[in-house]
Amino acid sequence: MTATVARATGLTKRYGDFTAIDGVDFELHEHRIYGLLGRNGAGKTTIMQLLTGQLFPNGGEIEVFGRTPAEHADVLRRLCFIAEAQRYPEDFAPKHVFRAAPWFFENWDQDFAERLIADFRLPVKRRIKKLSRGQLSAVGVIVGLASRAPLTFFDEPYLGLDAVARHIFYDRLLEDYAEHPRTIVLSTHLIDEVANLLEHIILIDQGRILLDRDAEEVRGSATTIAGASAVVEQFVADRLVIGRERLGGLASVTIDERLDQAERVRAAELGLELAPVSLQQLIVHLTGTDLAGTTEQEAAA
Amino acid sequence: MTAVATAAAERGALVADRVRPGEIWRIVRLLAVNPTVFFGVPWMILGGAWVVTMLIALIAHAAGAPVDEMQEGMRYSWAVLSPQWYLVVVGVQAVAYTLSFALGFGSTRRDYWLGMSIMFLFVSTEMAVAIATLVQIEQATDGWWIGAGMFDALWYGQSGWLFDFYTTFSLQLFVLFIGAAVTTVYMRWRMKGMMTLLFSVLALVLAAVAAITLTGSGPAVASWFAAIGLGGLFGIVLVLAVVVGIAGYFVVRRATPR
Repeated sequence: MTATVARATGLTKRYGDFTAIDGVDFELHEHRIYGLLGRNGAGKTTIMQLLTGQLFPNGGEIEVFGRTPAEHADVLRRLCFIAEAQRYPEDFAPKHVFRAAPWFFENWDQDFAERLIADFRLPVKRRIKKLSRGQLSAVGVIVGLASRAPLTFFDEPYLGLDAVARHIFYDRLLEDYAEHPRTIVLSTHLIDEVANLLEHIILIDQGRILLDRDAEEVRGSATTIAGASAVVEQFVADRLVIGRERLGGLASVTIDERLDQAERVRAAELGLELAPVSLQQLIVHLTGTDLAGTTEQEAAA
Repeated sequence: MTAVATAAAERGALVADRVRPGEIWRIVRLLAVNPTVFFGVPWMILGGAWVVTMLIALIAHAAGAPVDEMQEGMRYSWAVLSPQWYLVVVGVQAVAYTLSFALGFGSTRRDYWLGMSIMFLFVSTEMAVAIATLVQIEQATDGWWIGAGMFDALWYGQSGWLFDFYTTFSLQLFVLFIGAAVTTVYMRWRMKGMMTLLFSVLALVLAAVAAITLTGSGPAVASWFAAIGLGGLFGIVLVLAVVVGIAGYFVVRRATPR
């Protein structure tokens, strides 16, 4: 069993009347890649800020490398967190960021950073204020990768990155992770883009955890069945349907179930096609229902 | 079962080296990594003011103004204080931007504040040495050979190098810390805190004015100020700078970045 790097118990963060994080419990284990998924404003950045001691919780407990992170230098030195809306010192250019980074990250790899700068074609002398959204994301990605911090956070790393840059991030992350295992938490609402990278998924919505499960399990947990409408409908008759699409006499229905061998054979005999469901589809379904549920509660209250 | 990664033994070792000068010093380096902010711009402002002063003196010469009267008039120039407004902003930005950044890089608020205070001490010393020396040079060259006065103005150039150093140092430290500390109040309590601070200061000032007026102790206060003199006044400024700096340390411990 791997060691626990971070643990949150009943973690709560409120801003006035608004509860951003509503009593969540979760654990982060050593040497895994976590996806912190959820819609905009779900609380992803807040969770990261709580884990890195930037924010103070209103309730519950948080433990990172065995202690509360806030103001504990021995915990903080093992973390790296460049927020999506990170503020940089006045008149900073990327070169200033990379010059200062080795003073703060003991595992900083300057050669790796320089290779990444070249890969992303980042203009290091341009002022941060003048960078495009993608270039700004690249600064955070480069710091996150080259810092090799035992617990690294990437907050919406794909924001504004072009297809080539996203591919570079994906490749470099996996390569470097294989050589230097560490715990990585990656927040994003662009789920399909990162789906294959993630080993574990924590899905949050409106400050609550909807799903905290191994990514492999999540991927196999739903199935799409396609074929002639009548046959498909008959096959899914008593199953939990989470999505339905129709085109002429053809239908494609998604069920929140894993089919066993016998069922797969039966489906094949009926001439139906089976396909795995993308993480994104599943998550749209999950966050969609929860949203409806809470709106009703609010209306009732 | 799962175990939290930091073993008890390791934790003991970490507690032992609680004093980490390196982690404070790196903040000084971070603040200086782009030297234009603390050193470049203030000297550009001073340099610009100096050029303007020189030009005014030359124009006055060309117009045939008497040199003695011109030198007297230039004593009222505030040009020597021109970088101060900018340095208040530097204090503000040190907390509003650089603190947020340092937290992302894994610094503690404590180490940040201590490192920033060291930087403020450096900058204040550097400015004080430079300005006190420039006053001496200006006097020695009789106003840069053309009777212009920029540094030998206001209270400067009256009581020697050490006094000029002391007054500049106190003022500089106060200006930097007030900018940083007020911003820290915002970083901790946001707008509510700023309003509370503003109205508290206003109430305090009004109460002081009322107390002095109603008790008729105006002349006594005036004579007290006269008695402590400029030296005493800048002593108060220096004490205020230290008080604000220490208060900021306690406020910043629970400040949160935007």
